[in-house]
Amino acid sequence: MISKRFVIKRLLLLVPVLFGVATFVFAILHLAPGDPARVIAGQRASEQFVQQIRVELGLNDPIWVQYGRFLLETVQLELGKSYQIQKGVPVTEVLRYKLPVTIEMALYGQFLGILFGIPLGLLGAIKQDSLSDHLTRVGALTGISVPIYWSGPLVILLFAQVFNVLPASGRIATTFDIQPITGVITIDTLIRGNFAAFQSAAAHLLLPSMVIGIYSMALISRMMRSSMLEVIRQDYIRTARAKGQGARITMMKHGFRNALIPVVTVIGIQFGTLLGGAVLTETVFGIAGIGTLLVSAIQVGDYPVVQGTVLMFAFLFTLVNLGVDITYSYLDPRIDQ
Amino acid sequence: MGASDETNSPDDRRAVLRERARTTGRATLLGAVLGVVGVAVLVATGETLLFASEKVFAVGALILGFAVLGWSGSIFAGRGIENAQEYLDTSSNWSEAASRRAMVVLTGLGAGVMVGSIGATVVLDAVV
Repeated sequence: MISKRFVIKRLLLLVPVLFGVATFVFAILHLAPGDPARVIAGQRASEQFVQQIRVELGLNDPIWVQYGRFLLETVQLELGKSYQIQKGVPVTEVLRYKLPVTIEMALYGQFLGILFGIPLGLLGAIKQDSLSDHLTRVGALTGISVPIYWSGPLVILLFAQVFNVLPASGRIATTFDIQPITGVITIDTLIRGNFAAFQSAAAHLLLPSMVIGIYSMALISRMMRSSMLEVIRQDYIRTARAKGQGARITMMKHGFRNALIPVVTVIGIQFGTLLGGAVLTETVFGIAGIGTLLVSAIQVGDYPVVQGTVLMFAFLFTLVNLGVDITYSYLDPRIDQ
Repeated sequence: MGASDETNSPDDRRAVLRERARTTGRATLLGAVLGVVGVAVLVATGETLLFASEKVFAVGALILGFAVLGWSGSIFAGRGIENAQEYLDTSSNWSEAASRRAMVVLTGLGAGVMVGSIGATVVLDAVV
């Protein structure tokens, strides 16, 4: 049973996290060169027009007044309007359609990582120093060492160019026109009952998920192996075996659950890394998610979009960590005491 | 090692808290001085008061933001990172409690710079 106090305490921690991120982003944008008013007005606009925009945006106010106003608006979820990317559209609206794209990709990648990482780690621990263990370890180290910007083009070359079995980029074939409902394309195609479109979306997602999954799987399997090896050397495992309990039941019932705790940590931290790595993955695979949005917003100086995107990243990361903490307390009830 | 491990009685705890408050206070004071000096130096080198105030305040906010984020990040994921380091055999003596304490000192410094820059701006604006 998870204690409410524990969850509330963790939820309250969201406040300093978001305050920290908001302050950090505000500072970075005010230290960066360039005048937002000039960006909005355009390079050829008159000085008078630029000044008018400065007054409208409150950029002539003292910086601490701007900071206080920014914090107040952020609390009210008013992240402003896009200057450049989608002129005049509220940032929350811009993010609404981009965020599910990134989350979908990260979730599928993480799913693949967990699906293969945990069994491989378990296999390595149970059959320690066997050929399969050595192969898994070499595979894991390779997976950790290869960056996404290298493995991405490699899998595109192999599966899209050489074998020609999977699409290289995009989210769905151009022949399909799926109006977003949730923004998660595989779910939207299913809701609309278009299975051909679903197949196309799934095929498009496979390569980016695979690239994300390889890295994730490598770390998870390595962690699972180390953790399981430690757990199976504990006295209570030996006692269970001495009392005649079968090896498989002992491993799965007593060993696996306890060995999962550090693995869950890695999965949580890893998810944050995946979100951060979305910038690279989306660029390599030509997917228009929150990562490419952030890069474009930085390039054109669309500050409200940059602020909103970074805040959203931080919010997601902390939510995932909250999920990890709750999972901890489920796996080991002593943790929330 | 967390505070609870270091202290036993309420008196010990109070002493530790006093010491930490003193350290943070000193960092805030140092920050405030740096804030005032920062604005004054920039103005003396020919920058406008608006520019000096904005940049020094932003640097303070950067430190504050980083520190608050580091503090809450230490609480959120610190234990997890400690465990991960232990399991991956990459232990670096980094601890959640030490990181948290360092971040509190940095928070004080950042807040001090921000307050110092505001003070210097108000005074210089009135004088110049």
